[in-house]
Amino acid sequence: MWDLLARSLGASTIFLFAALGELVNQRSGVLNVGLEGLMLFGGTAAFITAQTTGSYPLGFLAGLTIGGLLGLAHGFFSITLRGDQVVSGMGLWILSFGLTTYLGSAYTGPLGLARIPSLMGLSPFFLVGVALVAITWLLIFRTSLGLAIRSAGENPAAAEASGISVVAIRYLCVTVGGVLAGLSGATYTLSYNPVWNYNFLMGWGFVSLALVFFSMWNPWILLAGASLFGIMWQLSLSPELVLPGVLSRYVWRTVPFAITIPILVVISTPWFRTRWGLAKPEALGRPYAKG
Amino acid sequence: MPLTLPADRAPTEPILAARGITKRFPGVLALDHVDFEVQAGDVHAVLGQNGAGKTTLMNILFGLVQPDEGALYLRGQRVHFRSPHDAIAQGIGMVHQTRRLVAAHTVLENIVLGHPRVRGFLNLRGARREVEALCNRYGFTVDLGARVWQLSEGERQWVEILKALYGGAKILILDEPTSVLTPPEVKTLLAGLQALVRDRGVTVLLVTHKLPVVMAASHRVTVFRSGSVVARLRTGEATEEILVQHMIGREVAFRTADRSAEAGRPLLHVEQVSAFNDRGLLALRDLSFSLRAGEVLGVAGVTGNGQEELAQVLAGLRPVTSGKVRFADRDVTHLSPLERWRMGVGYIPAERIEVASIAAFSLVENTALNYHFDPAFTPRGLLDDAGLDQLTRRILSAYNVKAPHQYARARHLSGGNLQRLILGRVLSRRPRLLIAHLPTQGLDVEATAFVRAKLLDARAEGAAVLLISEDLDEILSLSDWVAPIYEGRFVAVLLREQADSETVGAMMAGLQKEAGAR
Repeated sequence: MWDLLARSLGASTIFLFAALGELVNQRSGVLNVGLEGLMLFGGTAAFITAQTTGSYPLGFLAGLTIGGLLGLAHGFFSITLRGDQVVSGMGLWILSFGLTTYLGSAYTGPLGLARIPSLMGLSPFFLVGVALVAITWLLIFRTSLGLAIRSAGENPAAAEASGISVVAIRYLCVTVGGVLAGLSGATYTLSYNPVWNYNFLMGWGFVSLALVFFSMWNPWILLAGASLFGIMWQLSLSPELVLPGVLSRYVWRTVPFAITIPILVVISTPWFRTRWGLAKPEALGRPYAKG
Repeated sequence: MPLTLPADRAPTEPILAARGITKRFPGVLALDHVDFEVQAGDVHAVLGQNGAGKTTLMNILFGLVQPDEGALYLRGQRVHFRSPHDAIAQGIGMVHQTRRLVAAHTVLENIVLGHPRVRGFLNLRGARREVEALCNRYGFTVDLGARVWQLSEGERQWVEILKALYGGAKILILDEPTSVLTPPEVKTLLAGLQALVRDRGVTVLLVTHKLPVVMAASHRVTVFRSGSVVARLRTGEATEEILVQHMIGREVAFRTADRSAEAGRPLLHVEQVSAFNDRGLLALRDLSFSLRAGEVLGVAGVTGNGQEELAQVLAGLRPVTSGKVRFADRDVTHLSPLERWRMGVGYIPAERIEVASIAAFSLVENTALNYHFDPAFTPRGLLDDAGLDQLTRRILSAYNVKAPHQYARARHLSGGNLQRLILGRVLSRRPRLLIAHLPTQGLDVEATAFVRAKLLDARAEGAAVLLISEDLDEILSLSDWVAPIYEGRFVAVLLREQADSETVGAMMAGLQKEAGAR
């Protein structure tokens, strides 16, 4: 049972990193639906680098760098060019899907390095994830920078009039979001499941995206949601462990989405908004034109 | 009464000056070599019609817009403001015409947002003490923990002023601060500004197109017309008549209702109507009235007393929870907006840009918004482009809409021109009932006079007009009947002859019904 839980939390970590990055992104008003693509690219870069150099740190560095660069690219399209954020995000995903399949096909197979040690079966990255949740919460709700980020996502005109550079804040956030997506992908290919195959994620990025909405943009709820989604996902991989033969893995795999949809419906109701305040960043997905 | 300047104050070095400022926007020369000076410790009014260039100049002084030519001088030193950040650092604060506050944040969070003293971790407790001290000194009462979306428009404006003062502003630019306030709120605001000038040595730049505000609160006034400065005066030496002449270059006559017209038969009956607002609270409570053809009923009230809901109920955009609406001897309570348009209801919504028009559409398409269901313009189910084109051109010329051509986009029109187009589109249908919600809000003197005249023309042609306005003078000059609205009910429906501004004003503030109601 502990093994299953530990393994689940390993999966949760992947969701957590990516979703935390996306949360910071969205708090500043930028939606990146290409999260899956950033993770694929970051994970592949990390895998190839670690395999050729034999070094985990270099592998992670490559993953983080590629994630950050793709985040910047999304920023360029959505902030500087003020393009449609959904189109840019989908473009990044499709591009990453194709390029990683092409670049990585020669590396198909196991990583072939000694596994990163675990703590009684628990991935050490999960603890890093919990620490990052605490740091993100502090950053967003307890610092001046966090106030600036939230303002850029709620009402960029107000932020600009207060002397805050919305462009700089949003670039910062998309880059941080990209780095965390890269970290998520690298953690997948170097620690969680160190075997490369084309399109190895098969939807993890989209679950992470759903998780951000599930969390109502709060890092602590995000942590709880990531843990829950991790367990659901793990069950989908090995449904025979619980209730063998009752439900197919594909049913388990839809559960995170099935939970997220009613939550999205509830938080959009006027009742929720008047009772609990405005959850969704008001300017999410809207390009900001100065002046 | 105009304020007097401190006795024989010698002309001093201006605290803020703009010299030779020129700014072009695509197709428009917004400012043409403008020289502008402000003396320290003044309330300096900046007067002009919409599009005269006032706001553009203020945006330049605040670093939001960069001038094409010219330079700014602060206390005699040349300065460059690349962004509001630079202007704020130099002690300039601006309160915009549209609120620049984050609705989801608390008042305090909004005030400290972007403040240089709040680096790193937010010390909200320390900031709260400082802001409270500021509030106490000027007698503002704002709940610092409240979220901005819960506040009234007047309170939000104070939050912005507090924010500018907390940010260390010594020069405060206020863009049309009175346009959204009720008369008592205006009084409080102007008194507060004078206290700021007197006690703190703050210099205030007051941008407005309202003459009474200029006369009541300013020391000096600069008048703009079509991108140039046409007059610089001491307020004490000016009169409203002189200012109007500078502002528009000639005199404007306001038409008032000619009350000799014969009133027709009852057309609209509203019986005990109740309805919810968007927040699910009861906004209309058993409201009843009737209106005859050829009459204007002026609904006077302070924002948020059910005016918007009343207009929407009559237009068919909001369901009633109880009660009945009868129009032309037919129960229309549950008819859709389209069916009501077909029956001859015309609706001019308050939100010109958000509801009454589609910014990205051409003027022809915007005209079609009220004609797409008209068989005359949809032969064989297709839109009659040529017919709509002709109709739009007729409206543009009959209603003096200044637009490059009929395929220009609505977003490129100024507020006054857009309102003329909307008015023309609705009135060209010859509605039997016209619902006009805040038809002159934010318009300049000339456009206001035009809109009012057209409303009276509609009445003369036999339309019943429901005029919802916050401008009491407007209500009193146009209406046959005056209905002060308070918390979802008409306090009374008064004959115009029995309605004077004191009585109606008191009823708008919730004073109970007196004699003379019908």
